[in-house]
Amino acid sequence: MSATCVLTAVGLAKTFRIGFFRKKVHAVKGVTFSVQKGEIFGFLGPNGAGKTTTMKMLMGLVFPDQGEASVLGRPVGDMQAKRRMGYLPETPYFYEYLTQEEFLDFVGRLAGLATADARKRRDQLIERLGLGHARGRALRKFSKGMLQRVGIAQALMGDPELVVLDEPMTGLDPLGRKEVRDLMVSLRREGKTVFFSTHILPDVEMICDRVALVVAGRTVSEGPLSSLLSAQVVATEVQLRPPTTGQLPDLPAGVERLMSGSDVRLDLPAEIDVDAFLVQAVNAGAHVISVQPRRESLEEYFVREANKGNDPSVPV
Amino acid sequence: MTKVVAIALNTFREAVRNKILYSLVMFAAVLILGSLILGEFTLGQGVRLTRDLGLYGIDIFGVLIAIFLGVNMLYKELQLKTVYTILPKPIARYQFVLGKWLGLVFTLALQVVVMGAVLQLALLVQGTGIEAAVMKALWLLLINVVVVTSIALAFSAFSTPFLSGVFSLGIFAVGRATPDFVEMGRRAGGVAEVAVGLAVKVIPNLHLFFPSGAVVGAKHVSVHAALVDMRYMVFTTIYGLGYSVMAVAVAIIIFRKRDFI
Repeated sequence: MSATCVLTAVGLAKTFRIGFFRKKVHAVKGVTFSVQKGEIFGFLGPNGAGKTTTMKMLMGLVFPDQGEASVLGRPVGDMQAKRRMGYLPETPYFYEYLTQEEFLDFVGRLAGLATADARKRRDQLIERLGLGHARGRALRKFSKGMLQRVGIAQALMGDPELVVLDEPMTGLDPLGRKEVRDLMVSLRREGKTVFFSTHILPDVEMICDRVALVVAGRTVSEGPLSSLLSAQVVATEVQLRPPTTGQLPDLPAGVERLMSGSDVRLDLPAEIDVDAFLVQAVNAGAHVISVQPRRESLEEYFVREANKGNDPSVPV
Repeated sequence: MTKVVAIALNTFREAVRNKILYSLVMFAAVLILGSLILGEFTLGQGVRLTRDLGLYGIDIFGVLIAIFLGVNMLYKELQLKTVYTILPKPIARYQFVLGKWLGLVFTLALQVVVMGAVLQLALLVQGTGIEAAVMKALWLLLINVVVVTSIALAFSAFSTPFLSGVFSLGIFAVGRATPDFVEMGRRAGGVAEVAVGLAVKVIPNLHLFFPSGAVVGAKHVSVHAALVDMRYMVFTTIYGLGYSVMAVAVAIIIFRKRDFI
């Protein structure tokens, strides 16, 4: 493990036994990745891929059957490491009879802060997360989005070096999502490391330095987005204005024609000769509005890898 | 220790903000104060009736509250998933369970003090002073509820509140009737006597905490007279707290190994 590595998982696996007949469920089969200091690391995967179970293993809530993990260079569950990290669980639940101030004070005490320091930190976080209007209100009266913000506040109470967020965008509106994204970026600017799970891909594309993709309980890839996504052009988007007195050339099989006002939008796959098609279209009297080569998006990569990972005939 | 106290205070706060708890304490208070009215229909036995009804009320309602809180406190943390937020903090699992238990003990102490104060008020109204026998009885009832809630907590570390409640109530019923079971075993003899002998080693002798009307050290004791001596009080307190610590240790051992799925 390098000196800059703050979170590592090597071959983590977990099987649960559920129901009366203790049926085996292999939640995680082999997750390996490492998170470097000061980066925003996205932990991606479809629902049921094993993201939350992996996070729970890293937080000491679930004991792995196999594999090893370390947090801030120490074994999972180590008190020194716990003091230096903050965690937001998926769909967090809190003591609903408490106000946000009481809850954050309580968390501050658990984090080992002195009362005055805890209050100061709590007030800063309430303002930073836009919860100032809800002071003195019991948590049971908070909306889902507000509870998510309280969840983030409690994760930051101990001023952690490593912030672990399980689906932090859940329950937030677009504005709330943007605020959380901005918060993560500002945490990175402060030198903190952010590790978060999600399946909201645009968020990942916007802020992540590196990602790991987990499918069916296994890590299928890890690295910077630029190295994971194919640099090759996978399709070309062409927008044409058809001739008033004529037809467009015949479209190759499988190409869908989408109308956009009076224009036609085509998504030509990589194997089609775009130049030749455009010449035919112009000769037929069409006017070319735009030509946009398209590289593989994270969504396409995600779907491709997810399908591969879920296919039992494909080795991963 | 700060973290254990933080969990304890939060547990205490949760309990005192629970309306069901208030209802039970109020019901017990009404019962005690009702004994004042019932006392009017007895011939000079009003004080006796108040003592008996009051202490039985505190006993029964105290045990019900102890079981209710004991089976729910830990389970609710798991059911409502609040434990996911707390355990990744710099706190050990044993500190968490210890804090929950301590919070329960604070809460039960408060409810015994409140109900005891109502009983004492009813006795003062009837012209008695503060009685040592009643104070001793209240202390023993507090230790009794601490033992019962510790057992309930241990069950709740691996079972549902309903089953934990049934098991705890069962242990309370058997534990309270320990001398009767021992006598029944002795009379039956053979395997039954051995089985009862083993059972009373595991199940706490809760009869020790309500000795009024029993023979202790070849002496008949009663809450209407001198009740028990200080030696008895110290012994039962050590016994009760020792049993409670063992029950909490069981809860901690189970809790330490659990996966929070």
